[in-house]
Amino acid sequence: MSADNQRACRIDIEDFEGPLDLLLFLIRRDELDVTTIHLADVADQYLEYIRDAEDLNLDIAGEYLVMAATLTRMKSRLLLPVERALMEETEDPMETLMRHLVLYKAFKEVASELRESESVWRDVFAPPGERERYEESILDADSGQTSLLDLLLALENLTEKNAPPPRHTIHKPLISLTECVQILDKLLPVNATRDFSDAVGENADEAVVVSFYVAILELVKRGWLTAEQSYPFADITMKRKEERWGMNA
Amino acid sequence: MLDQLARQIEALLVATDSPVTLSRICELTGCGTESAEQAVLRIEAELLSGGHSIVVARLAGGYRIVTDPDLGFIVGQLFEGKRHSRLSRASLETLAVIAYRQPTTRAQIEAVRGVNSDSAMRTLLERDLIKIAGRQETPGRPLLYGTTSRFLEYFGLSDLEHLPRMDEMENLLKLSAEDIERMASELSGEESDQITQE
Repeated sequence: MSADNQRACRIDIEDFEGPLDLLLFLIRRDELDVTTIHLADVADQYLEYIRDAEDLNLDIAGEYLVMAATLTRMKSRLLLPVERALMEETEDPMETLMRHLVLYKAFKEVASELRESESVWRDVFAPPGERERYEESILDADSGQTSLLDLLLALENLTEKNAPPPRHTIHKPLISLTECVQILDKLLPVNATRDFSDAVGENADEAVVVSFYVAILELVKRGWLTAEQSYPFADITMKRKEERWGMNA
Repeated sequence: MLDQLARQIEALLVATDSPVTLSRICELTGCGTESAEQAVLRIEAELLSGGHSIVVARLAGGYRIVTDPDLGFIVGQLFEGKRHSRLSRASLETLAVIAYRQPTTRAQIEAVRGVNSDSAMRTLLERDLIKIAGRQETPGRPLLYGTTSRFLEYFGLSDLEHLPRMDEMENLLKLSAEDIERMASELSGEESDQITQE
């Protein structure tokens, strides 16, 4: 199939339920049998598809990229005759992938049969019974009757009902508490004094400042250091009290 | 005209809020299994010959009387806006894996589907189609999931044996059991708390 053709029949990656689904689509598009496909061809098509999607700046889930890497690795193994002997000893990853595809395909088909049942049974209505009148009050549940899931759902209702989805950016810690203490240890001889800003350095990252601050609080708590501040927001002057700082103590 | 036993059973099948099993019918009416089954057939025949809008459904291991699916377009109007949306493809696939492999772990489900299935599983739990069925006694003690009787009712199944293509799927799963275990443990290797084996 030419590149133009492929572009013409491109389908949105959002339409697929993951890399296996996309692979099945590529195989079926060429009317190939899952068990007799030529790996190199399918791998090429898959990779091209992913590249196209990337060109369009589509957000591609990590799973797709993992599959791309797996296919590339398999393909490169096929090209390396030296590895052949090794491959025969261990299980052929290609065969494993084929089995996985067959399995996934079966579930996909069952899922679409369930979809049909759903359509029929959605249109079926049963009398509601006497559920309301005779059901035990939810409030009277004995201990042990509430499952973990109930609690989680209750919590989720409380926290997620109105709140926008939480955003959280995770930064790599720049400096650990122990490192801060080690640095302070070097900077501060016994009974010497030093300003906090001096110890942290100019233009220090927020996270670094916080780490140092926490380290100092800890040292003050242990009585190994004193800290003074002449007025609010002024620089903190530290003075070393204890000669030996054993953080494991 | 229905006989006394059939009338009693019909009343039970109308008033119940979940399918009534055959043994429960026998217990409540004091009849034997066979006569209960025969009576259900008589009810069905009566409903059919009278051209009624209701039918006896064999669901989740029992019976209950429901409206004919042909009339869904009329009855559905009563519940406009209150009906659940159809399940997404992701949810249906996830549900299929759980149904045939239960009890199963999240890692196993994701191994088969090849994608993260968190949100699908959450939907299924919220809609009471799957439930937590214990923990697997392997390192990390991952949660095990299984289907509910609501699941059977939702898809009009009388029991798990009547899942589509049961024999075919059982064979396939037997063949791929090892693959699934291995893929699942590779997956959970990343999460470290879910190492799965049977």
